[in-house]
Amino acid sequence: MARLELDDITKHFDDDGETIVAVDDASIDIDDGEFLVLVGPSGCGKSTTLRMIAGLETITEGELRIGGRRVNEAKPRDRDIAMVFQSYALYPHMTVRENMSFGLEESTDLSEAEITERVESATDTMGISDLLDRKPSELSGGQQQRVALGRAIVREPEVFLMDEPLSNLDAKLRAQMRTELQRLQEDLDTTTVYVTHDQTEAMTMGDRIAILNDGILQQVATPLEAYHAPANQFVAGFIGEPSMNFFDVDLEGDSVVGDGLDYPVSDDVRAKLDTDALVLGIRPQDIELVDAVESGHDVAVTVDVVEPMGDENNVYLTFSDTAGNETFIANVDGRTLVDEGDDIVARIPEEAVHFFDRRSGEALRNREFDGDADVDLSL
Amino acid sequence: MRGKLAAYLGRLVRRNRIRADGGEVNATRDSGLVSDEFTSSLPYWLPPFVVMGLAVYGAILWNFFLSLTDSSGFGAPDYANLDFEMYARAFADPVFIGALRNTFALLVAFTVLCLVVGLVVAVLVDQGIRYENTFRTIYLLPMALSFVVTAQFWLWMYNQQNGLVNIILGVVGLGPYEWIGNPSLVLGAVVFALIWQFSGYAMVVYLAGLRAIPTEQFEAARVDGATTLRMYWRVIIPQLKGATISASVVLMVFALKAFDFLYSLTGSYYPPKGSDILATMMVRQAFVANNRAYAAAIGIMLFALALVVVAPYLLYQYRAGEL
Repeated sequence: MARLELDDITKHFDDDGETIVAVDDASIDIDDGEFLVLVGPSGCGKSTTLRMIAGLETITEGELRIGGRRVNEAKPRDRDIAMVFQSYALYPHMTVRENMSFGLEESTDLSEAEITERVESATDTMGISDLLDRKPSELSGGQQQRVALGRAIVREPEVFLMDEPLSNLDAKLRAQMRTELQRLQEDLDTTTVYVTHDQTEAMTMGDRIAILNDGILQQVATPLEAYHAPANQFVAGFIGEPSMNFFDVDLEGDSVVGDGLDYPVSDDVRAKLDTDALVLGIRPQDIELVDAVESGHDVAVTVDVVEPMGDENNVYLTFSDTAGNETFIANVDGRTLVDEGDDIVARIPEEAVHFFDRRSGEALRNREFDGDADVDLSL
Repeated sequence: MRGKLAAYLGRLVRRNRIRADGGEVNATRDSGLVSDEFTSSLPYWLPPFVVMGLAVYGAILWNFFLSLTDSSGFGAPDYANLDFEMYARAFADPVFIGALRNTFALLVAFTVLCLVVGLVVAVLVDQGIRYENTFRTIYLLPMALSFVVTAQFWLWMYNQQNGLVNIILGVVGLGPYEWIGNPSLVLGAVVFALIWQFSGYAMVVYLAGLRAIPTEQFEAARVDGATTLRMYWRVIIPQLKGATISASVVLMVFALKAFDFLYSLTGSYYPPKGSDILATMMVRQAFVANNRAYAAAIGIMLFALALVVVAPYLLYQYRAGEL
């Protein structure tokens, strides 16, 4: 177990004389035993970052330290890491036992008996003891996934690297493995870097999540912080399902005015807005649907589409008094009955509203949230 | 393609007849299906079937009967009393035993070394080097040359006085060797020349095999702590089993066909002493010594040898469900 430090890590690829910046100046300190999730859309540089930690890509600039030791130049085998690949990369000609003992045979001096013991204890942990003599082709996707994880944990490395390990599983199994992986990581207490494009995985699994876009690190924060206090508009839009609604607005006196929206803001909020060109953000979950306009924070809307999900409804709304048919989403209780074409009122509570600088995307005002507040769990 | 065309023609024929019957669709369709497809596809598969059957398999069968006669010299062979005398004669003939041994030595040494050289070159070319396509073409090019050309070329290379091989060896104080004239060296020299010509083929097959292995396999092995050499030995090469089998079958068939090369070395049915193989001996017996039956027997044994070579490949394909 070790602390993993990325210090101004940069990666350039050379494409026919043209330099492509895959990762730009990323700095993350990952604590010993921490579960860090690297998340971002495809092509954002998250996999490249992981591969640089693994030693499968060279680092153009910056320093990478594992347990305080600089490993920029170290070969993968000298970094004491184990990696789980998206495709699992099990060796097809080897049995499960051989797959799992391969790493120990190649990287340690353990005796055959010790290797057998460690492999068997790892298969016990993963619940695949009865598969030891099978070949990967004889296993289901979920079983292969377990073997791939087992192959990593049997090594007892300083750092686990996981490259979208659950993306090849069906939805149900993925949810199950997500919990299992979390429990496993807590038991082993091994520093883990986990790459995913799935923000649900990021939210549920990570101690902290690092959000990347276009090779640039947007924010490193706990899942709740990233959700409630996003550093910028990209993070706000990426984290959360359905995505946050954004409206381009301009600050005019006491309110912000946009297409179909005239929204009064309090002095406290206005004090934080240091520019006129803004983006107003509101999470679908924070929008309430009511019958009548009662204050300036209520807007008349028309229901465009209703997606019933059972426990909740995603209601697509358009502003009633504009010609545009741009929709935004409200996420309401599943028992709220609304129909397409209904004229209703959306209430956008001011305490839940985010404001972003329209040019830089930087968050100027986030919803009221105190991450450090003690939560009273007594009933 | 051919099958589809036949099926289409079959449908046409059927449709016309149904119309003539006055619309008795159900009654004719089922019973007509098999025979219709069979007869309508006849013009397509029958001619090649007959030609192949007679010219190849018929000739092999005829050759087998010829090998059971005692025919020699001119005149029609006597098919009245057939026996295995020629086969017995072969195994008592030191020339045959020598040719058999040479054939085996050539087969094994050539195939194994070709695979090894091809694999090493393929692994090197696979390292993402510059001008990769150029290298690949250069290595594959000798295979495009005729045996007549390469045999002449290697005759010059092996020339005792001014051949390049002896000149290079001379630099480090070895030789000169009589590569072609010395019976104990000639087979090795022939094997070397054939490897030069065919290792490029093994390389191309292995390169395709290497490309088919996902990058993650290499990366997983490296992360697992394997050195480059161990990675290839334990993870990559075992996955090239299919490539190895198909390449070795083709190479072994080439080895059995080394007749062309040996014939071109001397321009006669008498290859350099020490390099006589079953193929050269068979032709010599048939067309110089006029021992038709004896040559036929040698031919049948060469054929059996080829079958033994191809059988594992067919078995592998059958097991893989490709046959």
